[in-house]
Amino acid sequence: MKINLPLVVKTLTGFIREETRKAGFDRVILGLSGGLDSTVCTYLAVRALGPRKVLALIMPYRDLDREGVAHARKVARLLKVRFREIDISPQIDAYFAAFPTDNQVLKGNKMARERMSILYDFSAREKALILGTSNKTELLIGYGTIHGDMACGINPMGDLYKTQVRELGRHLKIPKEILVKKPTAGLWPGQTDEGEIGLSYEELDLILYLLVDRRQKPDEVVAAGFERKKVRRIVEMITRSEFKRKMPPIAKISGRTVGHDFLYPYDWGK
Amino acid sequence: MKIALAQISPVLGNPERNLKLHLDYIKKAVSRKADLVVFPELSLTGYTLKDLAAELAVNPRKSPTFKKLLEASRTIDLVLGFVEEAADDPGLVYNAAAYLSRGRILHIHRKVFLPTSGMFEEGRFFAAGRQFRPFDTGRVRTGLLVCRDFLHYGSSYCHFAGGAGLIITISAAPGRGVDEPRSPGFQTSRMWELMGEAVSFFSSAVVVYCNRVGYEDGAVFAGGSFIYSPFGKLITRLPYLEEKFEVIEVDLAEIGRARKSWPFRRDERPEVIWQSLEKIIRENHED
Repeated sequence: MKINLPLVVKTLTGFIREETRKAGFDRVILGLSGGLDSTVCTYLAVRALGPRKVLALIMPYRDLDREGVAHARKVARLLKVRFREIDISPQIDAYFAAFPTDNQVLKGNKMARERMSILYDFSAREKALILGTSNKTELLIGYGTIHGDMACGINPMGDLYKTQVRELGRHLKIPKEILVKKPTAGLWPGQTDEGEIGLSYEELDLILYLLVDRRQKPDEVVAAGFERKKVRRIVEMITRSEFKRKMPPIAKISGRTVGHDFLYPYDWGK
Repeated sequence: MKIALAQISPVLGNPERNLKLHLDYIKKAVSRKADLVVFPELSLTGYTLKDLAAELAVNPRKSPTFKKLLEASRTIDLVLGFVEEAADDPGLVYNAAAYLSRGRILHIHRKVFLPTSGMFEEGRFFAAGRQFRPFDTGRVRTGLLVCRDFLHYGSSYCHFAGGAGLIITISAAPGRGVDEPRSPGFQTSRMWELMGEAVSFFSSAVVVYCNRVGYEDGAVFAGGSFIYSPFGKLITRLPYLEEKFEVIEVDLAEIGRARKSWPFRRDERPEVIWQSLEKIIRENHED
C-alpha cells in the first residue's frame, strides 16, 4: 500500500490545476476542519494554485471541535491562504429547536449539509470551485453524508486510502499534531472514526485494499489472516453505501435517457 | 530521419481548437526541420468521447479539417488520431490513425483492439478495425498502431512480417498504479516501455510511441512517449505527465545494421506462423 509520493503529488496538483481551469474557475474553495483530509487537500491546493487562489472556510458548530478549529486556523496561517470562520450554530439550533432529536447522526448529517450549502453559496459568490476531501476509505464504506461532505466540484483525494493520505501529509510536512491526532467526523465530543466504525484505519485499509485493489474474494481475505466478522462487516458497508457513490437511477421509458444511453464526458468541450 | 513527438493534451470534443493546436505544432516541427510529426491517439477530438464519437466522426476525404492538414502535409509528414466514419459503410465509426504525406492520405489504420473493460468502454462506441498493413512512405516501410493494439504483440508481428522498419503507435494511455515508490512513473508506463524495448529489438525496427498528457473525467494521461532503436536501445523518452515537444534524429540505416547483426527478419517464417494459427483457430472454433 506504499505509494510513490512525488508522483502522486504531481498527478494531484496537475489535476486540481487543470480541472479548475476547465470548469471555468481560477480559484478553489474548501471546508477546512483542521483534520487530516482537509489539511492535506489545502496543502495540495496551495501547491497547485498558490495561496491566494485558495479560500478555506472554517465552519464550527458551537464548541464541538475546538481543537479542530485551532488546527484549521494554524494551517490557514501557515499556508497564508484566505480563510473565513462561519459559525453554523444559529441555523442548526433553529432547525433542531423546531424538530428536536437526540440522534447524533441526524445532527451530524444536518451540519454536514449546512456546511455544503454554505460552500456552494460561497463558491458562487467567490467564483471558486469546491474541492472535495473524501478519501477512498470513506467513499468505499460510505462513511460520509450524501449531499453533505461528499458534495463537491472535484475530488483530488478520492483514490487515496486514509492511511495513504496520512503518508502524503507527512510528505507534505503538515503540522505534526494533525498528523498524529485521532480522526474524527466531529459528530459529538470525543467521537472518533475508528471508535464508530469499530476498526483501526490500518486494518480497515488493508482489508479494503485486498478486496478492491487486489480483487480478492472475502474468503481469500479471511485466509490472509483477517477476522471473518470484520471482513463481512466491511463487505456489507461497501454494498449498502453504493447509492452514495452513484447518481440516482432514472426510470427509463424512452429510447434515449439521461444516465442510460445519453452518455457524454464530464469534461465535454474543455 | 528527424521525428517530432508532440506529447500534447487535446481539448475534449472540440476539433476546431485541436486543429489549431496541430497546426501550431506542425509549424514548430517544420521550423525544426523535422520530416515527420507524430500526434497522440484521437488527437483531433480528445479521448473520452462516449456519444460524441459518432457526432465527431469524419470522412477524411471530405473533411475540411483534413483539407487543412493535407495542405500542411506538403511540407512535413503527419501521423494523427481521429474518429473515422466509414465512407463505404455509413454508421460505423472507428478510432483511427492517419498517415498524411505530400498532400495525400498514405494510410489509415483503424484500431483493432478496443479496450472495453474496467475504466475503458471503447467497444461501446467504436467499430473495430480488421487489419494490420504496413505501407511505404518513401523513406521506410511503416506500420501504424493505435494504443492497445501495441500491447497485443501479434499486431507488431504483422508489421514485422510485412517488412516494416518503423512501427508507430499513437496512444491515449492513462497512468495507473502508484504503489512502486522507486519507479519514476506509473506502473502502466513500465508496461509500454517493456513492449517498446522488446518489439524494437526483436523486429529490428524503430519503435515510436506517442502518448498524450492531460486529464479527462478524472483520468490522467501519463505521457512518457518514447523512441527505441532497431537494436532495442532507448533513444528518447519524454517526461511523464508534462506537455512536451521534441525533435529526434533517428538513423534509419540502423535497421539494416540490426538485421545483419540479428537476422530475425531474414529467418522469419510467417507461413509457418500462419499455418499454425490457422490450425489453432480451426480447432478452437470447431462446432
